[in-house]
Amino acid sequence: MKIMIELKNLQKVYATGTHALKGIDLKVKEGEFCILLGLSGSGKSTLLRCLNRLIEPTSGDIYIDGINVVAAKGKKLRYIRRKIAMIFQQFNLIKNLSSLTNVLTGKLGYSTLIHSLTFPQHKDDVKTALENLKRVGLKEFAEKKTRNLSGGQQQRVAIARALMQNPKVILADEPVASLDPATADSVMQYLGELNKSDNMTVICSLHFLSLARKYGTRVVALKDGKIVFDGTPVEIDEKKFKEIYGEDAEEVEIR
Amino acid sequence: MKKENKFKLSLQAILTDLLFWIYIFGCVSFLMDRWFEKAIPGNFVVIFGIAAGLISFVLGLSAGRKVFLPTIRTDRKWYKSFWGWSVFLILFITFVVGWNLVEVDLYKLFTKFRNAGGIMSGIFNPNMDILIVCLTALAETIYLALLATIFAIPLAFILSFFAARNLMPKTFLGNTVYIIIRTIATLFRSIEAIVWAIIFSVWVGIGPFAGMLALMIHSIASLTKLYSEQIENIDPGPVEAIKATGASTIQTWIFGVVPQIISPYLAFTIYRWDINVRMATIVGFVGGGGIGLLLLQQQQLLRWQNVGVIIWLIAAVVWIMDMVSAKVREKLQGM
Ligand SMILES: Nc1ncnc2c1ncn2[C@@H]1O[C@H](COP(=O)(O)OP(=O)(O)OP(=O)(O)O)[C@@H](O)[C@H]1O
Ligand SMILES: [Mg+2]
Repeated sequence: MKIMIELKNLQKVYATGTHALKGIDLKVKEGEFCILLGLSGSGKSTLLRCLNRLIEPTSGDIYIDGINVVAAKGKKLRYIRRKIAMIFQQFNLIKNLSSLTNVLTGKLGYSTLIHSLTFPQHKDDVKTALENLKRVGLKEFAEKKTRNLSGGQQQRVAIARALMQNPKVILADEPVASLDPATADSVMQYLGELNKSDNMTVICSLHFLSLARKYGTRVVALKDGKIVFDGTPVEIDEKKFKEIYGEDAEEVEIR
Repeated sequence: MKKENKFKLSLQAILTDLLFWIYIFGCVSFLMDRWFEKAIPGNFVVIFGIAAGLISFVLGLSAGRKVFLPTIRTDRKWYKSFWGWSVFLILFITFVVGWNLVEVDLYKLFTKFRNAGGIMSGIFNPNMDILIVCLTALAETIYLALLATIFAIPLAFILSFFAARNLMPKTFLGNTVYIIIRTIATLFRSIEAIVWAIIFSVWVGIGPFAGMLALMIHSIASLTKLYSEQIENIDPGPVEAIKATGASTIQTWIFGVVPQIISPYLAFTIYRWDINVRMATIVGFVGGGGIGLLLLQQQQLLRWQNVGVIIWLIAAVVWIMDMVSAKVREKLQGM
């Protein structure tokens, strides 16, 4: 199978001096659902945000779908970014705009300024946006301001926005960490669905092993900015778990 | 405490003490001049001040030490300590000097009320015959304030993005643009609208246009500052999310930043119009046209009944604007 994401000796040192990524080498194949595990501060967010250059890596190479991400500038970077959707823990919707408008912003990478200012006039865009909202079960919420939606609904709007990008890769940074277990599972189901039926490659950081086992096809664990485990979810036993989370850790399962 | 830090603090303390005592002797000199026509010569003021400052610092009694080196003798009550008394002395002397400089004269205040009889009776017997003229001038004032606000909005709106720390890239160019716009805005804001009015009344001639330009400049500077501070307080999350979709910088600002700031912007802008109407009357006094100019002319002609009409009209407009702008802003809060 084709390699979708490739990292070579990726390093990130923040301006504060924190060495957050200490040489990450990783290949993710197309269609994988790759779970990132690791303690708080291990570098999960840093890694994900380097992939679409929300932060600048200090050194190393990133190839996504064969394109050199680190070297990209201006328009080229925009074209790469629109194929990589991102889902955030805090949803990051624009709260005083409607769900529909929020979903339409997923199209910005494909649109000229004039086109994006007249989104509501472009019937095909609106139609796609409504279809995407329908796909996450929120068609009747199209006109509602997202501030009035529940956390789970907001995250589903964010997924619809991601779909609008027609992405090859989805980066999800703790997408369910602010949700209750049942809602978390339903949001993960949508991501799982996109992975299976649309063959989107997913990299998703999580804190719950149970969800990792249920949805992940692969688990990569970080510790102090280095990869300490790379394998399938079932391979994580008591011993591996303690390697990732430290000797004192107890596995807390939330189902 | 670190060594260099302690040195710096000591230096600040001793400078404070020197200035403290030079100021006290300066005040004493001024008062002696007023009362006995015998000032202390300037060089003596400085020498005495430095001497007193050094002595109090060396003895460890000074106010400078108290402020900057707080470890020394903090246990005593202020009225039992030298620094306490010297601070009391400086406040007292400042008050006495102020009283003298301002020429406070309670005798005049309580015995010469009759002088104001003309204007008082004018206020309560306004000359309604000139109402139309006044209303025209008032319209001039309100519209010049309105135009000043309208012209200021788009300029301040655009400038505010470049004056927001979180939007400007942390490159040399980004920093330079940020600093230049911020500095100019602060500078222009600190020059009062009345000063701008004087400048423009010479430039384009006395009249409402000069007043409009003065208020516009001042509004642009103020709104740029208020707007950009609003931008700096937005939630960075949505902005990042928009950026991550592949949006261009302009698209990111329009879709990620603008929706977050639009309602506070409106509130500020309406508040600004409110302020501009008030300032427009004042600006009129120095050549900015409108009701202020009319007021100045009538006052100089001692036409107190005409002045009366104008004062009532100004009061009414300010009162109405105040209410309207408060109401609108209240409504915007919920958006
Ligand atoms: N903007 C920043 N500036 C400086 N240091 C940062 C910044 N962001 C993160 N760090 C540091 O980099 C390290 C990795 O942080 P990162 O956010 O990637 O961890 P994480 O695995 O996502 O943690 P969490 O599970 O808490 O989200 C931490 O030590 C953190 O303090
Ligand atoms: Mg994180």
